[in-house]
Amino acid sequence: MSDQESFWQRGVDRKGFVAAAGLAALAAASGGRLGADAFAAVGRDEAGGELLYYNWADYVNPKTYPAFEKATGIKVKKDFYASNEALLAKLKGGARGYDLAVPTGYMVQILAQEKLLEPIDWSKLPTVKKNINQKFRRLPFDPQDRYSVAKDWGTTGFIYRTDLVKERPTSWREFFTLAKTTYSGKVTVLDGIPEVIGSMAVMLGYSYNTDSKSQLDKVKQELIALKPHLLAITSTEYKQLLISGKAVLGLGWNGDGAAVAAKKPAQYVIGKEGGEFWVDSYVIPVGAKNPDAAHAWIDYVYGPKANAVETEYTYYGSPVKTSLLKGVLAAEILGNPAVFPPPNVLAKLEPNKVSARGTQLRNRIWTEFKAS
Amino acid sequence: MRRRAWRAGGRRRGGGPRYPGWLALPAAGWYAAFFLVPLGFVVAYSFAALEGYAGIAFAWNLDNYRSLWDPLYGGVFKRTLGLSLFGTAATLLVGFPFAYWLARYAQRKTLLLLLVVVPFWTSFLIRTYAWLIILDPEFPLFRALHSVGVVGADLNLLYTPKAIYIGVVYNYLPLMVLPLYAALERLDWSLVEAAQDLGDPPWRAFRRITLPLALPGVVAGSLLVFIPLTGEYLIPVILGGDKTVFAGNLIAQQFLEAHDWPFGSAIAVVVIAAMTVVLVAFSRIAARQETQGG
Repeated sequence: MSDQESFWQRGVDRKGFVAAAGLAALAAASGGRLGADAFAAVGRDEAGGELLYYNWADYVNPKTYPAFEKATGIKVKKDFYASNEALLAKLKGGARGYDLAVPTGYMVQILAQEKLLEPIDWSKLPTVKKNINQKFRRLPFDPQDRYSVAKDWGTTGFIYRTDLVKERPTSWREFFTLAKTTYSGKVTVLDGIPEVIGSMAVMLGYSYNTDSKSQLDKVKQELIALKPHLLAITSTEYKQLLISGKAVLGLGWNGDGAAVAAKKPAQYVIGKEGGEFWVDSYVIPVGAKNPDAAHAWIDYVYGPKANAVETEYTYYGSPVKTSLLKGVLAAEILGNPAVFPPPNVLAKLEPNKVSARGTQLRNRIWTEFKAS
Repeated sequence: MRRRAWRAGGRRRGGGPRYPGWLALPAAGWYAAFFLVPLGFVVAYSFAALEGYAGIAFAWNLDNYRSLWDPLYGGVFKRTLGLSLFGTAATLLVGFPFAYWLARYAQRKTLLLLLVVVPFWTSFLIRTYAWLIILDPEFPLFRALHSVGVVGADLNLLYTPKAIYIGVVYNYLPLMVLPLYAALERLDWSLVEAAQDLGDPPWRAFRRITLPLALPGVVAGSLLVFIPLTGEYLIPVILGGDKTVFAGNLIAQQFLEAHDWPFGSAIAVVVIAAMTVVLVAFSRIAARQETQGG
């Protein structure tokens, strides 16, 4: 389990850390153009075999970079964003020169609508075509596979410390009830509008993606009732807070749940009522300097061995055919329901796909929730 | 003060030395390109409309400003004003005695000033993160305070409004101390001594001599603290657990999460306008004090 050792020692998670958020905000505030010029300069200095990969912090096994360079001769340069929204803000603001990024499905659709993506050339992806589980082709957010190739997938649920919480919550209702009573003040939720509003909607029996005003009003009331019991609203610190025991209940992603569970007794749960199923996908942002390198990266990580290295690091589900992963991916990961939930659980989950109208209503609710 | 008044008068009459105006060109160009033009964009965006998820339709509509007229945002602005006033008053109360002592009595002024400035060599972000450790209930300081009975066992400051206030005073204190020190350092203490010799008790000498002469420093320090505080958003996120919304957080949320650039711009314009009013008011007060002093 030496791989696991390195995994648990890393300090930050998929969604980056607030420092990254702050820097992204600064970059956005100073205008994306500035960033674009800086990257253009980098591109000129070191033309040729280079890939500028714009990603969530700590979302690639560090071993993959040198292995990829050895296999293809392409050097990888890295830059990070802290949320899908920050990625959109940066590209929309005019940042250019990124060859590869990994937004979540709903953001792939928005980026495509905003004409911020270059098409994928599937003829350059022979390994992907051979190894991908057909379930991950033509996903609803990109029905023609024009702009995206699945990287990995996961779920949004909750994590609790099994040693500090006596109860064994299995549903969102139990989670939120415990949060407001016994464990008040020891609860975190993600700093994510879709995740928090969607999970609360699911608890109330609505769709994760509801855009009905009356339903969202009920969600809002529940959220405002929950607010005084929260320790923090954070996508970046909650793993640490759960590990230290300052928080004992946290709304979060399955990969982070696995990370907490490796350090302290903890359980990741997909709420009985349902929840979110997300797919993060490779895309090529508009103005990419080296789209060939981007295709090379995608095709490389679809090799079963390279893919197993990634999954052992991120603890998120792989879109590669399970039959190909058997034998190369550690059995305890392949059999871990937090990484690969069984089909009957998956059937209850929805991808995030909120209408523009719903998004506006939700933004307003989020402000009220935070300001309450 | 008389000297200052004479100088100002001289400049108005054009009797002073003539300065070559082109020296201001680089700065003027810089501000035009990187301040006025972006500011124009912000104003233009504030009248635009959101289209779909992140699209912008330029138009002349006041909807963004109209939707700001709402108790929800009124509360946010009130809270922001409260934080800014608190930060200004607190840094003044903490900073003035220190600057006074530093200017009048301290021995190793250079070293002490250096100590005030040294934190600026480290990123604001990292210094704010460091407070997460200090404010942690497990931190030895709290344990020690608890063991001597100063604080209760259940004291938890982390992720509370108090943590935000502590972080604000810490981060903004140097911005208050430095201008105060600059004003007090130039002060001619023989004036204070003369007032006392002529019968003023110390507090009256302070009120009639020291305070008016230090006023430019008080005004400068207050503006340096007050204005950036109205846009402060990282301290509430990091130390407050992102549970409290100030104007800065509201603007950041519109740009980074909601993608409603028009609405975010409208909020920014309102904050900028309010700041301009404060600035003008402050400079009026300062100017009146100066003419009275002269």
